[in-house]
This record gives sequence, C-alpha cells and structure tokens, in this order.
Amino acid sequence: MKLRDFILRRIILAVPVVFGVLTITWFLSYVVGNPVAMFITERTSPAAIPGIIREHGFDQPLVIQYFLYLRSLLIGDWGTSYSTGGDRPVLEIIARKFPATIELAIVAMIFAVVLGIPLGILSATRKDKPADHVTRVFSLAGVSMPIFWFALMLKYVFFYQFSVWGLPYLPNGDRIDNELWKAVLNNGVGYDYTTSITGFVLVDSLLYGQPFLFWNAVLHLIMPGFCLGYLTLAIVTRMMRSSMLEVMKEDYITLARSKGLTERIVVYRHALRNALIPTVTVIGLAFGGLMTGAVLTETIFNWPGLGRWATGAILASDMAAINGFVLLVALVFVSANLIVDLAYGTLDPRIRFG
Amino acid sequence: MSSSEDLVLSVKGLTTNFYTYEGIVKALDSVELSLRRGDTMGIVGETGCGKSVTAKCILRLIEPPGRIDGGQILFSDRDPKTGETNEIDILQLAPEEMLTIRGNKIAIVFQDPATYPNPVFRIGAQIAEVVSLHQDLGREVLEIRIRELEDSVKNSSSAEHQAKVREQIEHYVSMLENPPKPDKKYARKAAWAKAVDMLRLVRMPSPEQVANQYPHELSGGMRQRALIAMALACNPSILICDEATTALDVTVQAQVLNLLNELKKDIGASIMIITHDLGVVAETCNWVMVMYAGTTVESTSTKELFEHPVHPYTIGLITAIPKLHENKERLDQIQGTVPNLINPPTGCRFHPRCAFATEICSRERPSLEEVRPGHYVACHNPQGNV
Repeated sequence: MKLRDFILRRIILAVPVVFGVLTITWFLSYVVGNPVAMFITERTSPAAIPGIIREHGFDQPLVIQYFLYLRSLLIGDWGTSYSTGGDRPVLEIIARKFPATIELAIVAMIFAVVLGIPLGILSATRKDKPADHVTRVFSLAGVSMPIFWFALMLKYVFFYQFSVWGLPYLPNGDRIDNELWKAVLNNGVGYDYTTSITGFVLVDSLLYGQPFLFWNAVLHLIMPGFCLGYLTLAIVTRMMRSSMLEVMKEDYITLARSKGLTERIVVYRHALRNALIPTVTVIGLAFGGLMTGAVLTETIFNWPGLGRWATGAILASDMAAINGFVLLVALVFVSANLIVDLAYGTLDPRIRFG
Repeated sequence: MSSSEDLVLSVKGLTTNFYTYEGIVKALDSVELSLRRGDTMGIVGETGCGKSVTAKCILRLIEPPGRIDGGQILFSDRDPKTGETNEIDILQLAPEEMLTIRGNKIAIVFQDPATYPNPVFRIGAQIAEVVSLHQDLGREVLEIRIRELEDSVKNSSSAEHQAKVREQIEHYVSMLENPPKPDKKYARKAAWAKAVDMLRLVRMPSPEQVANQYPHELSGGMRQRALIAMALACNPSILICDEATTALDVTVQAQVLNLLNELKKDIGASIMIITHDLGVVAETCNWVMVMYAGTTVESTSTKELFEHPVHPYTIGLITAIPKLHENKERLDQIQGTVPNLINPPTGCRFHPRCAFATEICSRERPSLEEVRPGHYVACHNPQGNV
C-alpha cells in the first residue's frame, strides 16, 4: 500500500526532527540559567543546596544528565513540574491541559478556514470592488492588531456593553459556567479534570446528555476562539486571495471558460482546488502556531490551557515543564505537516505518493 | 465573398482595444473574416498581429483590460435536424446565451498542451464535463440501460425473469425517439462513455486508460489530442485551433495536423487554424487570411495565395520561406519591425515597412477589395498579376 508506506516513511523521518528539537531545547535550558535556582527560595538554608544538587542529579556531567533525560523520556517519564503546584508529572499536566488548548485551537481554526477561504475567494473574484476593499481592510486589521488589545475590545463590547444595553451578551471567560455545571449535573466541583470524561468540554457536555451545557460551552468558545483565530483568518484570507488571483490567470481557466461553463463553476470547480494548495500549507503551519500562540488569549479569557501553564513554567525556569511543552509542540508541528502533505495528495494528483 | 455563399461565420469591422497603463493598444482594427461551411481556413501573421485576439473575440473570451469596441461577428447556426439556419450576432448575445455557444457550437483548441488542461482533474472528467454541460444524453442513457438489461437476460436462467426484462427493454426501445431526462448517475456514466469515444476518435492509444489519467501523466502530443477531443465533444460547427501545433515538436505536429485533416471529413465542422507557419497552412487549409498589425491584409484560397500573392506583406512572407535548393548566406526578411500598436502607423499599418508605399498609403486606410475572382486584398498598390 503506497499511502501506508508514505505515512510510515514520514513518521520515521520525523524522529530526527523531534530528537533535534528536544536536544537543542534541553541544552538551551541549561545555558540560560542555573537549574538549581528553581528549587531555592528565601527560606532555603545554604547548607541544603548540595543536597538539592545531588537529589536532582545536577552534580553529574552534562552528557550523563542528557542521556538520563533521554532514557526517562523513552520510558514515558517527562519529568516533574515544580513550578505549578503539587509537583506533578509533566505528562499528567499535559494530559489535563492539552484538551482545553486543542479545543480552543480547533475552534479558532474553524473560524479561520470557514470564514477565510470564502472571504479570500470573494475578495479575488471581486478584485478592486467594494467587497474586496472591505475584506482587505478586515484581513489587514487581523494581522496588525495586537491580540491582547483585540481580546479586551471584544470583551468590552460583547460582554460589558452588551450587558449594559441589556442585550444577550457573551461570557467573560472560562470554558463553561461552573455554577451552571454544578446545578445541572448536581456535583460540587464544577467542570475540571475530575469531572470531565474526554477533556473536551463540548464533547463532555454532550456525553452527559446536556445540550444546554453544550450551548453554554459554545458561547464560552466564541470570543476566545475568534480572538485566537483572527490572525490565522487574516492570513488565510490574504493567501486565498492571492493564490486565487494567480490561478484565475492560468490557461486552464481560459479553457474552462471556453467550454461554456458558468463563472461559478469555473471559480468553484476549476480554480478553487488549485488555489487551495498553497493555502493548505499556511493552514497546517498556522495550526501549530495556534497551539503555542494561545498564551495571551488563554490568559485574558481565563482559559485553563497549555499556553498559560507553559508561560508560567518559563518564568519559573521549570526545566521539565519547558522541555515537555517544547517536545509536545514539536510533535504537533510534525503531525500537522504530515496532514498537510496528505492533503496535498488529495488536492493535487501531481504530488501523489509513489 | 458574396452573400450567396454559405458562410458559417462572418466577422465585420471587428475592433478590439486593450486599455493598459501605457496607453490604448489598438489590437484589432476593423478585421474582416469569412468562413465558409466545411472550409478549413488559416489565419497567418506574425506574433502580436491579433490572430489569437481574433479567436478569443469570436468566443468573447477577451478579459479586461481588453474590450471589443465595435463590429459584428455573425454566426450562422444550422440546426442539424431541420437544416434551417439561424444567423446571430455573437457580440449582441447576453452572457448566458454565450455559454450555450462556447464549447458547444464554437470550440477552441489552445496553443500549449502543457498549461491548458486543468492539472487536478482526470482527462476523462474534463471531457465528460463539457459533454454533460451541453448535451441532453437522454438517448445515450437509454442505450446504456438497454445494454445492461440485455446482459442480464443473457446471464439469467429463469425464463420468467427473462420475459420480464425483455418487456422492460421493449419499453426503453419505445422511448428512444423521445428520451426522458436522464437521471444523474446514468448521465455521468454516459458522459464518461462519450469521453472515451472522443478519445478514440482522436486516435488516442488505449482511450479507457487515458480517460482515467491526469494531464501530467500524458505526453504533449497526447494532451493536445485530448484537448482536441474535448473541443470536438459536442460536435461544434466551428473548431478554432489557436496555434494548436506550435508548442509541439515537428513529428508530433505532423501527427496532429494529419489527425485534423482526417477528422475534417468525420466531424463536419468548419475549421479555423491560427498559425504563424505557412507550412501548416499549405498542408491543411483551403483558404487563408493574412493579418498584419491587427488588420486583414489579404484573403484568398491557399493555392491562389501561394501562386499569386498580391499584398507586399504576403509577398514578403512567402519570399522569406527558405528553399531547400538555394544556398544563401542570409535568409530573406521583411525590413523593419512590427509596429507598436499603442501608436500604430496612420493609413495602411504596413506602409512604413513597405517597398511600394506611396503618399496615399500613410494617409488613407485601404479597404478590402476583390482584385481577382475570390482574391481579396487591402492595399493601395497591389503587386503581382492583378
């Protein structure tokens, strides 16, 4: 089977990439600071420091420490995060927080793709007409607006002003209304990792058979999802516009017109598929970016995701957490690239795997 | 060309301009052209003389900044059943009406087979697309269903079942004259079958397989055949070949020209061959029109043109053809260069390069006159035997 071979080959090729990433980050994390500092507070007695050094293996040569790190990774031990309270294993924290980030990133992606591609087509087919100008301003705003400012403006309008005007307003933050969750499901904890089944609040609310909670979760996702997705939306729109304009000049479009096809079919059947190829690349790379770029959005919307946790870890120079996060991001990028390559194959027969 | 002749296409005073930033490019200036039913006509001229623009105007495929600013393109559409002809001016048609002409009544084969087929669709699908767009396929679908039922009769052992199926076949046969609208699934099948038939018609080796292939899997010559198949799929009245053989190497070019010559009899279309190669004209066309800088300069039968060229430009073109038995240091050429069409020469557009130009040539535009029977030329000082 050709496709299986292709995927296998790509996975094997991804191994050195991931290995390189984790090697570089591991060594870098030693370059930027003293790892012992993290375990020392104002109250640590100087006499205790050698004990801390020995306990965490910091007295070993760097190379030995590196191989110990690799060995523990291989047996599924990503180390322990000391900065985030409770000294939990990194892998466990990732398992708890990753779904929230993924969910947000997927919603952001849906905004970017579902709005970006049609807007790009509209902009290209109405080049230099009012619709094009509006779309271009919209996408220019998306790439130039600082995300924290935009998030605050969204909150100001759709949460604060709407509630002042007595309109139905969007929630201020959080993944779901916890009081509502407690009331509906009659448990005291609210929504967290102990009460979630899959970690995805949209899926969980449906698994509990509560469409009302589902709707509440959707409302909570709109603002942070759009806020996070706006930059990608802007890039996808611009990319789609330019590749569509490029494709519309191709000879095969003239041929399609010479067949007597309506402009609609020429655009949506003959041009779209060709124009999607460069856009798909951007979408794939952007998805990786969404996973990591969610820091500001997660902070402003009080979203318990990985971005916030990773920022905290960096500020506390929590080595295991940083390395774990970077490794995860590398894996996400590699998988996103694989998916992009597979999408190429379906879109363009010239790049089919053989 | 008197009106009594059976013209399938008659272009009168066609004027097309391109409104660019550098200025208005007067690409076509009162082009006159007539194509008789069943003829193969060649349009020759240098690069940039407006041959392809003329072809695109006929299909109204001129894109902004280009605009057709005047003239008539009269297309005489003959109903194959009743034989009645109906003359329409293509330039007066609404855009939706134009869609029923393109690819259906007038089809075009473009120059470069590397860039014209859509790279992401199968060859068969691209041909089937134009078939299902313009053809009703009701009859073809019935025929497919009858064939399927006949197969099932052959494979069935139960006499009762056979009788039932036969009855169904009769029913379908009775509908053949007045077929109902086909359902989508069968229409797609029939369109695909037609696509394979068209590939067979253009002598494509193993057409079933090629229909399932993508353009990049075929050679240039095969791709050009596929594009010809696409153009012929709806039995057009006019087939325009816009430099259809220019991008091919000489042997493949010869194959494609032979194919066109052979197909001429089968398809009953009038053909317009746009080329800058007088050799191609001599091999395939019975009528030639010579264009220069967006104007028609000479129009006559191929034999007449090569034997008695009258316009100084045509004479120059024919003298420029290298001859095998001559041994020359330098090939003959027409002095000067092609004029810039933003500021074309006044009067006759050829006069700055013409050895026979007189004072009137720069002042007055010559009109197309019949200088010998069936020989039209736009020149104040026609040369040769007139």
